[in-house]
Amino acid sequence: MSARARPHQAPAPTAGLALTLVICTVGPGSLAADLEFGRYLAAECMTCHRSATATSTIPNIFGLGRQHVAAVLMAYRDKTLPNAVMQNIAGRLSDEEIASLALYFSITMKP
Amino acid sequence: MTRLTRRSFTALAGASLGAIATAPLARPALAQAKPKLVVIGGGPGGGTLARYVQKDAAGAIEVTLVEPATQFTTCFFSNIYVGGYRTFESITHGYDKVKREGVNVIHEAAASIDRARREVVLSGGRRLAYDRLAVAPGIDIKFDSVPGYSEQAAEVMPHAWKPGAQTRLLTAKLNALKDGDQIVMVAPPNPYRCPPGPYERVSMFAHVLKAKGFKNARIVVIDPKPAFSKQKLFMQGWEKHYPGMIEWQDPKMHGGLKSVDAATNTVKTDLAEYKAALVNVIPAQMAGRIARDSGLANASGFCPIDSASMKSTIDANVFVVGDASIAGDMPKSAFSANSQAKVAAMTIRGELTNARTFPARYANTCWSLIETDDDIFVGGTYEPGDGKIKQVTSIISQDNEPADLRKRNYAASVDWYTGIVVDIFG
Ligand SMILES: Cc1cc2nc3c(=O)[nH]c(=O)nc-3n(C[C@H](O)[C@H](O)[C@H](O)COP(=O)(O)OP(=O)(O)OC[C@H]3O[C@@H](n4cnc5c(N)ncnc54)[C@H](O)[C@@H]3O)c2cc1C
Ligand code: HEC
Repeated sequence: MSARARPHQAPAPTAGLALTLVICTVGPGSLAADLEFGRYLAAECMTCHRSATATSTIPNIFGLGRQHVAAVLMAYRDKTLPNAVMQNIAGRLSDEEIASLALYFSITMKP
Repeated sequence: MTRLTRRSFTALAGASLGAIATAPLARPALAQAKPKLVVIGGGPGGGTLARYVQKDAAGAIEVTLVEPATQFTTCFFSNIYVGGYRTFESITHGYDKVKREGVNVIHEAAASIDRARREVVLSGGRRLAYDRLAVAPGIDIKFDSVPGYSEQAAEVMPHAWKPGAQTRLLTAKLNALKDGDQIVMVAPPNPYRCPPGPYERVSMFAHVLKAKGFKNARIVVIDPKPAFSKQKLFMQGWEKHYPGMIEWQDPKMHGGLKSVDAATNTVKTDLAEYKAALVNVIPAQMAGRIARDSGLANASGFCPIDSASMKSTIDANVFVVGDASIAGDMPKSAFSANSQAKVAAMTIRGELTNARTFPARYANTCWSLIETDDDIFVGGTYEPGDGKIKQVTSIISQDNEPADLRKRNYAASVDWYTGIVVDIFG
């Protein structure tokens, strides 16, 4: 049950928090975050996330914190966060791609 | 290794900052009118492609969408309608928003493509010039792949593999069944749209009959394939929810399909003859006629594409997306069509307006409902590789998962439907 808790429902999810620290040392800013690349990559996310509401199972990801998005995507990639659907999506993302997506979603509102 | 490519690419792209030279194709001269994109077919492939080019080119490309229907009923989630979970209206969508966004939508069929002159000829005779053409007509049913089947026979034995009237006919026949009636499904050979679709449909048949309290219902599936998508998961689900109701036969068990007869509602196999109250025949499939007639398909009946762009390997000014294309490891699904359309849209903008382009990448997830709140999925991500669109990651639901997980799957699939429909139709 608790393993299935959605990361954004808990204020400081264990997996997410641990990863946030890692990211801070690497720092998303120091990675090649590329907004236009992020925008292209984000088209893939739209299919599932674009109509998310406060109560939907697929959560809203627009306007989230840049480090939160990066940490969560890395945790899905490492399979430290459960959810096979997102693990599949994140499984092939490089650090640069994650940084670009995090940048894009942190500054973009739901269309 | 693909990561390495993408890394070096990102570095490169950063350095050259949009000054990327693209394909050595004729590009409209600067002084000329806006470059023109014509899209044939307003389904998941064509609809997504038209909208993404319209949105991202911000007026620099004139986008025309040619689609005869003013209302599009989705095949995806049509099984959910058959199962009684949704209304027909809720799976039917219009093009008003697409039009409002500036896409020129013409509700006519494309009758032919004059590839030499780069013109689409509409059914009314009008000609539309294009710089780039996207072809997304979906599939046509190969009626003659099942002996005895025809377009007329489909009025009695629906395929319901193209949406709309056929889906309604199938549902009406299902809802009219009495206890003890038999259903026979003739499943399709590969490749066909929505690999788990027939088995989700069988599940929905069973759900409706079980919900009515029928004790003697029987569903026989005559399959030309020795195995099918998510087979183990479906069979576990059938055993759990509908014990004894569904009998799936592979070619070894039925010995081969001999014929169907709409006059008597019978299905003959090498080993038996079935008289059924409902026969659902899902024949073999091929790319929509316009693609085949224009010489864009190969001997397989589907259209070969370049895996890095969804560009036809037969004509460099033409892109083919969705079910009509040969998309390597990707299944024919709305999710795939939507994903392919985004790669094509980016490539088209790159060619017509010098927009920055990025390496192609694709994704798919297909959910299937077995019984109320028992939903399974299969999915993958894909990239160009080995001369095709190649799977790079994959997932599938596990055996005997907790009920709450399966229930969440269904909720996620509903959210996906809501999202993708907005992605396609605005
Ligand atoms: C029962 C069933 C369940 C399914 N479930 C799912 C699912 O859960 N998830 C999923 O992702 N996919 C699912 N699918 C598959 C999905 O419906 C198709 O893969 C998808 O519709 C393909 O999109 P497309 O744009 O290639 O073609 P289509 O959706 O077929 O759209 C093609 C459009 O082109 C138009 N057209 C054709 N010829 C011409 C012409 N000459 N001129 C102009 N327009 C033309 C047609 O009118 C049509 O509107 C399911 C399919 C079925 C049958
Ligand atoms: C196939 C559907 C699907 C696609 C495509 C998809 N997601 Fe998700 N995403 C989900 C689901 C389902 C969840 C909820 C997971 C859970 O409940 O544990 C989720 C959760 C998330 C979360 C957690 C949100 C939070 O509040 O912390 C993030 C971040 C996320 N996705 C980002 C992305 C990005 C970025 C992409 C594109 C690269 C993407 N997703 C593509 C289905 C999808």
